[in-house]
Amino acid sequence: MAHFALTAVGKDRPGIVAAVTGVLVEHQCNLEDTSMSILRGHFAMMLVVAGPDVLNPAALEDAVVQSTGAYDLVVAVRRIDDDVPDSPEGDAWTVAVYGADRPGIVHQVTALLADAGVNVTDLTTRVIGDAARPVYAMVLEVTLPPGVAPDEVAARLDAEAASLGVECSLHPSEADIL
Amino acid sequence: MPVRPVLRLPEPVLKRVAEPVKEIDEEALALAQDLLDTMRASPACVGLAAPQIGVGLRAFSVNVTGHKKAESCHGEFVLFNPEVLLAHGPLVAREGCMSVPDLTGDVARAGRLVVRGLTPEGAERVLQVDAFEARAVQHEIDHLDGLLFLDRVTSADAVFKRRVYR
Repeated sequence: MAHFALTAVGKDRPGIVAAVTGVLVEHQCNLEDTSMSILRGHFAMMLVVAGPDVLNPAALEDAVVQSTGAYDLVVAVRRIDDDVPDSPEGDAWTVAVYGADRPGIVHQVTALLADAGVNVTDLTTRVIGDAARPVYAMVLEVTLPPGVAPDEVAARLDAEAASLGVECSLHPSEADIL
Repeated sequence: MPVRPVLRLPEPVLKRVAEPVKEIDEEALALAQDLLDTMRASPACVGLAAPQIGVGLRAFSVNVTGHKKAESCHGEFVLFNPEVLLAHGPLVAREGCMSVPDLTGDVARAGRLVVRGLTPEGAERVLQVDAFEARAVQHEIDHLDGLLFLDRVTSADAVFKRRVYR
């Protein structure tokens, strides 16, 4: 078995998932991890699939484009490592950032986190509110490695948020195993 | 009494509605003991329902002693045929389950609960639980109805990969 990363983006309408996954079934591919959502009216699909060793990623990409022509999707398929890298060690925390939209919020916040050795495991941003006063909201799931003090990260985030003119909070998101 | 293996998805018993305990006989007492033994043997485990150890009967154990989110705490207990009499104040928090490895999810649960059941000694017991103990009790009662936290997650966004399985 080989592994492939597939992305497809197109104007949202019913049938996109069925059309793309139909091609994958025809090529004996099995969906492993996927994430799909609507981004500003466009349906965005990210899939990691397992398929036959002989499957050529460029040929699969062509087949998806051909079979889903009616949906006008932007498609990319690449071969990826078969090994699953170890997930980073540490505690799960959530960072929420929101405020008036301006360029550089994501970059500034994530650069700070990277500098502190904090790993981003999930990130979603949305522009909310009315068009006249848009509010930018970002939620990050992060892993704080052992030895990194949450208070210090929170203090640095607060300072950064103040300079960006946005609100920011850091709170633990470790699950309770019941 | 034995520590039993904790079953995981897709084990069918986890998705079946469990049967009431008809009488507190030796079998029921052995089940209570196995729940406690298995819970004690599993690090960080605060509750266990009979279907998780392969028994389709309405019984669970809970022990939230020492948990930082616990407010009410009734220590270690087993209840047969639990019934929720009152529930209010939904709160969302992240849960995982020994029977659902690799994933966690945000689930809304009542913050206060009154629950009635039978103890292994055969006495009717009414417990008022809140905060984390209320969450644990609701999670275990869900197991008795064939429901996992995945059946309760607040949205598709609310399911997360668990990094380490303890």
